[in-house]
Amino acid sequence: MNRDVYVIGVGMHRFTKEHIPLRDMYFTAGMAALNDAGIKFRDIGSLYNGYIGGAMMEGMGYAKDLGLTGVPVVHVENASATGSSAFREAAWAVSGGAADVAMALGFDDMMRLRMGRKAPRTPGGKRLPSMENLMLPAGFFAMWAVRRMHERGTTIETFAKIAAKNWNHGRFNPMAQRRADHEVTAEEVMASEMVAYPHTAMMACAMGAGAACAIVATEEWARKHAQGRPMVKVAASQSQSEHYTEGHVFMGAVVGPPSLTQITSRLAYEEAGIGPDELSLVHVHDAFPIEELMYYELLGICGEGEGDRLVHDGETAMGGRIPFSTDGGLTARGHPGGPTGLAQIWDATRQLRGEQGKMQVDGAHTALAHMMGAGSICLVHMLQRV
Amino acid sequence: MTKMLPLEDGYMIIPEGGGEAVRLLGSYSKAADKTYFPIRKLCPVTAEPVETVDLSPEGMLYSWSFIRMPVMGRRKLDESGGQGIGQIDLPEGVRIQAPIDGRIGDWTIGMKMRLAPHPVVTDDDGTHYCGFKFVPVRAEQ
Repeated sequence: MNRDVYVIGVGMHRFTKEHIPLRDMYFTAGMAALNDAGIKFRDIGSLYNGYIGGAMMEGMGYAKDLGLTGVPVVHVENASATGSSAFREAAWAVSGGAADVAMALGFDDMMRLRMGRKAPRTPGGKRLPSMENLMLPAGFFAMWAVRRMHERGTTIETFAKIAAKNWNHGRFNPMAQRRADHEVTAEEVMASEMVAYPHTAMMACAMGAGAACAIVATEEWARKHAQGRPMVKVAASQSQSEHYTEGHVFMGAVVGPPSLTQITSRLAYEEAGIGPDELSLVHVHDAFPIEELMYYELLGICGEGEGDRLVHDGETAMGGRIPFSTDGGLTARGHPGGPTGLAQIWDATRQLRGEQGKMQVDGAHTALAHMMGAGSICLVHMLQRV
Repeated sequence: MTKMLPLEDGYMIIPEGGGEAVRLLGSYSKAADKTYFPIRKLCPVTAEPVETVDLSPEGMLYSWSFIRMPVMGRRKLDESGGQGIGQIDLPEGVRIQAPIDGRIGDWTIGMKMRLAPHPVVTDDDGTHYCGFKFVPVRAEQ
């Protein structure tokens, strides 16, 4: 990055399955971030709206509730990585000098998504689905899991332990969609309905609605608005689309080859000058537990084939060596699409400022936020307390 | 005889009459000596031109699952309670994702699978519009 970039404010509207107008959620998250930063909307030099579904210019319309300041507004869409991509655009706007302060605001309701094209019809008028829609995310990740079980002897219990951990992390997150009223066990997760072998319903991410916002700024702005809190620097922002691999799946590859995470994270470590051993906490695209398990290894948190041991030793749970998905992750905090990556930034920033109460990782100083977007794209951000 | 057509052009050939096997269409890059599915406009590795080729109708099962989702073209689960899906590696180095016939217990990673048409929509005149699926070779015998 050309200029150092800092996160100066974060805000969210809790993720939920309730019907709440997106316009209201957008406003809540945006105002929360502005208040957190101690600035006004007129201070924002560039705004990046992240959402997947929705009407043309929907975000532009919602932004008018924050003010008519003439600020440039851009719609960003990168599937599940939409919020992370909006954050990256905002960070680069500040780094490149286009703005001193920029806002990334993600919102969405996954239940309204209409993916794909307008379907052609048969001569008799029947709708013809696209060949490209043969595979669903649930099935795609389930096949990762079955292959992992075949190659490494991973058990369903391991997947259940990862999901239970994330359900339990979400219990203390006021922004989480799923907040269990009891300690969730691996047995409970395994007993829930099988939806895509070996994944059960409680292993699948929560789909709902919500909004999340992050404001980034120059060092000068960050110092001015630190309010006595530690400053949070964007130590790395990396994004990669797919590279060719042997056995490359072009059709229905929800997130591309696993090496995508490896390549992107290595670039981030290099940019930040920080290695995986120096991380305090990690957020990943844990739509299903097989993903989190594989990302332990692909992010270099442990060696190849050692992920299962991390789970069974509790190293990725709160209080462990390197907690993952400290806010419940996609599993419990939820995955509305547009705001998901920004919810990671919300938790990471507050963790580094020591503000997360029962969710707090003691002494957190460096966080990594990883996100995948179908199609596919990988983003890795690293935040550091300074 | 029932007429079968692909759901979309450019992915597969369903020969009329049933005398020949159904086959998928891929792209071969001479520059990279690699084959891709589905058809590419250029070689994704070298950006050189590619030629359209027929792919082998048989491959090995790389992974599988059984998902509690309606089969393509349906809105509700049928009596099977879901569908099998698989990743099949073809000899050309191509990995294909598709529905697979069978239930949990029928599949073993590494087993031989054969391509077959997968009727998705049937028009009023009886024409079947097809995607593709793979069938365990063992189960066919």
